[in-house]
Amino acid sequence: METDLQSIIAEAEARLPALDSMAQFEQFKATLVGPNGSFTAVTKTIGKLPPAERPLAGKLINQYKTRLQALFDAAQERLQAEAEAARLGPPVDVTLPSPDRPAGTAHLITQVREEICSILRKIGFVVADGPEVETEYFCFDALNTPKDHPARDLHDTYYTHPETAFGNVSQKADERYLLRTHTSSVQIRTMLAQPPPVRIIAPGRCFRRDTADATHSANFHQIEALYVDKGVTVRDLKADLDFLFRSLLGADAETRFRPHYFSYTEPSFEVDFRVGHLSKVGSEWMEIMGCGMVDPAVFAEVGYDPDIWSGYAFGLGIERIAMTLYGIDDIRYLYQNDARFLRQFA
Amino acid sequence: MKVSRNWIETYVDLSGITDAAISHALTMVGFEVEEVIKTGLPPLENVVVGEVVSYEQHPNADRLSVCQVVTAEGGDARTIVCGAKNFAAGDRVIVALPGSVLPGGFKIKESKLRGVVSGGMMCSERELGLGEDHEGIAILRDRPALGTPVNDLYGGGDTIFDVEITPNRPDALSQMGIAREMAAWFKRDLQYPEIQHNLSEWNGRHLVDTVVSDTPENCPHYRGYSVRGVKVGESPAWLKERLKSIGLRPINNVVDVTNFVLHELGQPLHAFDAAKIRGGEIRVRMAGAGESIVTLDEKKRVLDPGMMVIADGERALVIAGVMGSVDAEVDESTTDIFLESAYFNPSTVRRASRTLGLSTDSSYRFERGVDPKGTEFAALRCLDLILEVAGGELQGRPLVAGEAPLVEKEISLSAAYVRRVLGFELSDEVIVENLRALELDVTETTDDDDEPLLLVGIPSFRLDLYRPIDLVEEILRIHGSDKVPPADVRTRGLLAEDDPVPVYLRKASSLLMGRGYSEVMNYSLGEADVVRDWFGKVAGEVLTLANPLASDASHLRPSLIPGLLQTLAFNAARGQHPPPVFECGRVFREINGAVYEYVSVAFAEMRDPAEGWLKRSPVDFYAAARTAADLLGAAGVSARPHGFQANLSDDVWQKGHAARFGGGEGAQEAEFGLLAPGALQRWDLPGPVVAGAVYFLPEFLKKPVARRRYQPFSAFPAAVRDLAVVAPVETPAGEIAETLTRIGRTVCAEAAFDLEGVEAFDVYEGKGLPEGSRSVAFSLTFRSLERTLTDKEVNAVFDRLQADLQKETPFRVRS
Repeated sequence: METDLQSIIAEAEARLPALDSMAQFEQFKATLVGPNGSFTAVTKTIGKLPPAERPLAGKLINQYKTRLQALFDAAQERLQAEAEAARLGPPVDVTLPSPDRPAGTAHLITQVREEICSILRKIGFVVADGPEVETEYFCFDALNTPKDHPARDLHDTYYTHPETAFGNVSQKADERYLLRTHTSSVQIRTMLAQPPPVRIIAPGRCFRRDTADATHSANFHQIEALYVDKGVTVRDLKADLDFLFRSLLGADAETRFRPHYFSYTEPSFEVDFRVGHLSKVGSEWMEIMGCGMVDPAVFAEVGYDPDIWSGYAFGLGIERIAMTLYGIDDIRYLYQNDARFLRQFA
Repeated sequence: MKVSRNWIETYVDLSGITDAAISHALTMVGFEVEEVIKTGLPPLENVVVGEVVSYEQHPNADRLSVCQVVTAEGGDARTIVCGAKNFAAGDRVIVALPGSVLPGGFKIKESKLRGVVSGGMMCSERELGLGEDHEGIAILRDRPALGTPVNDLYGGGDTIFDVEITPNRPDALSQMGIAREMAAWFKRDLQYPEIQHNLSEWNGRHLVDTVVSDTPENCPHYRGYSVRGVKVGESPAWLKERLKSIGLRPINNVVDVTNFVLHELGQPLHAFDAAKIRGGEIRVRMAGAGESIVTLDEKKRVLDPGMMVIADGERALVIAGVMGSVDAEVDESTTDIFLESAYFNPSTVRRASRTLGLSTDSSYRFERGVDPKGTEFAALRCLDLILEVAGGELQGRPLVAGEAPLVEKEISLSAAYVRRVLGFELSDEVIVENLRALELDVTETTDDDDEPLLLVGIPSFRLDLYRPIDLVEEILRIHGSDKVPPADVRTRGLLAEDDPVPVYLRKASSLLMGRGYSEVMNYSLGEADVVRDWFGKVAGEVLTLANPLASDASHLRPSLIPGLLQTLAFNAARGQHPPPVFECGRVFREINGAVYEYVSVAFAEMRDPAEGWLKRSPVDFYAAARTAADLLGAAGVSARPHGFQANLSDDVWQKGHAARFGGGEGAQEAEFGLLAPGALQRWDLPGPVVAGAVYFLPEFLKKPVARRRYQPFSAFPAAVRDLAVVAPVETPAGEIAETLTRIGRTVCAEAAFDLEGVEAFDVYEGKGLPEGSRSVAFSLTFRSLERTLTDKEVNAVFDRLQADLQKETPFRVRS
């Protein structure tokens, strides 16, 4: 019996490595362990042995069965690996570029906007939103802009067709519709809609009737901030802007207030910043934005009691910050959408 | 506005203060310095008056002369080699001696020129920085004494600060106004000019009989003075120098004085030739319709009744506050003058100036508001200077119409309030000192509760100050806005969240970027043709701006897609395969005559991917449909394909390869697919484009959304059955799926388990099917929450479903 088993193992050892498909493998396997297989035939002889010899023979058969199974497993593994490799084809050249498109990129204005918004979110601001088509009331009147202020001129501000009605831009009365010249209009809509305290930032698109050049664009983006609470001071305004600019430009960034005039803030300031690694001459102050304490006239307009509430507002131009941070010298690149420009800030 | 340091120094002593410190001070009081210009002769050492005693041809150079020059009376002559030819022996010239440094850093030293030692240089005006004259060396015709330092000849240099005056500060639109601010900043005294002549006495009678204001609301106050016997001529050097220093052109002494006082005090004045005033009267009135005058710039101006004029008995002589006419101009023949000093309503002047497109130094000041009480002092100052530089005598009493408006105010201010607004300590003393520095009249007192109170009197030239908060600004301005101390951020948590619109746009953007779309930004204003061709005639009308600046930016955009196409075309034209792009922004859609502002997100890409070593399949409708559905889904809008309507009637989208979602007028809309070649024509694109856009009314996104509740799901296996349905080719698969779902759910409900899903997995058309029909195969998933389903119960339901389908609908089950 053992001789038969040895020759079966020898046959398996000889034939299995030469097989090159699973079908051949199954076929060959059947000739050994199938119902009519040679190994099966040997196992059947046990029954004919005297009972005393049976345990030993059973043990022997089990030993050879294990050896045979190991040979089958190895062959099957080899054949499966070969089949998988054939299915996958030849190895790839890992240095060839992927023909699939890369992940998309956010526009630089979006990136800078989100960076500023997330800085300000850390100090309690939430993002507010308002329409791009505005009315003269929200854009000028409520912001204490004098009736005959030049900003209201047809020369400086876009107005919509006088007969066009806007279904979802509310008017105060029947004042003119215009394209908002600043996001400050969101201040008014927000304050009219909710009682204080208010701490909002309103990023958005604005329009001025300018001829496009390296520094002017028919539309541009601002972030307006408004904070109204009890006891908000000039010092808070400075502290929060310092926080913003240090977060944005590094801990060595400095800001400076310069008196200025805006109709909706009093006192009003322009903010200069300087930071060693950015400005060309190192120590030069660069003008970056406007700010101030909310004028009591604005509070009166929205029904906030200026004896109880005080607040500050600031507005910054996203393009201007982006251009300063990234060294871009022409605002028009931001609206040209050249793929080589877009990809630079991925 | 240009500010001359020399000029303001006649009112405030700025000795020991550098130009840089003044520039900083101007900036810090709120007048941004745009430019600092040094003019005139800077201090030069060892540059003196000399005389050419003799000269001869240079032995080694044809173009050079060797000159003997003395620079001291009786002194030794020195040899100077000179290239100029414009002098003669005996001429007095300017000599830069060795050791001197000329403007531009040019150092003079003894040096050999072609073998001859030259001990200095004779200078041209340009070399001294005095002008452009470089024809030769400067010849001093009035023969100043030998050795006179050149600075004594030309006087000191000046520094001109070009500053921006904010519209709230008309009081600073003068040299005096700036001097006042500098005096406050540097805490130095301010000196007003003194009147030299006795102007409270006069001879004879005024040269005009009456002065009348017909329109006191537009001209509340008018003063007129008569001067007889002036001698019109060139202004003295000092006066010309002052005017030239701030960029004005001297004209004649009388006109120059009025200009000088305008820029000194900020009060515009007008001098008439009294002989040219007809009818013996000056009348302030509104212009008649069609009335016209020829202004001093020699242009004919047609006036309207909204414009105020200063007229005589017959005609308008001045557009009030703006510009005079040639008819009453002071010229060389003038001997008698009538001087106007008035307060005009700012908006009246502004309106005239705007309407005429004529802005002058005078109108600029009137429209911002001059000191209502400043007319008399300015007139006296002007008369004083006229008498000084042009002679003549004051004639008769001043003629006055109206009165200066009452404008003085008193503001009650508590120092505690100032500190409360500022948020930092500022002592009572500093507060009072800073207010007084600005010539505000401060009285320290107490209020009813015995708390300290400041009564602050506001002078007439500071009409911008009328509330306590305005004074806080003044105090901080003079204290130094850059001295706001640093502080920690104080944050109080507020119960508020980001607005849903930006939240949605962030979600949509990251979804699209993950799919390889890059964000772009295009202009919101587009051209009429695109709007009309893509969105129709009505859109073309209602979306137009009232005052467009350029023809390609005349309309509000109704869609982001044209901008995206522009981007694709722009990149293609630059030789690069256009990347897939998207944009988020506002668009404006016309619905039943009204325009609605929508939030939109749009994407576009070339249908065919870039050529590469490994070919990829083109993008198709179904890719756009998936992206659009996901963009809707990000806003909580469930957009299943059976909700899509094939787009068959549009010129913009390709028939049979595009769809829309929503009715076109709703709060949430989408359109997507291939764009029609006709719509793409204008952009010259290199191939077909797949695009899509979603639109939301902002108010839709802003609707509060309840937090989702957990839905239990089954842990038991599903039973799946496939069913092929034969239907006419035109029947959308979505309609069949919906029918199967409806019938399936009814049948399942009775059997107490669920039809979980109906998914199309094959579409077949052709052999074995009737003409005009197709087969759509669906896989139906059945499942129970409570148990494993048996084949028997599933088969029973599946059979029922098929029977009901054939009974209730024209659809047939394919066997």
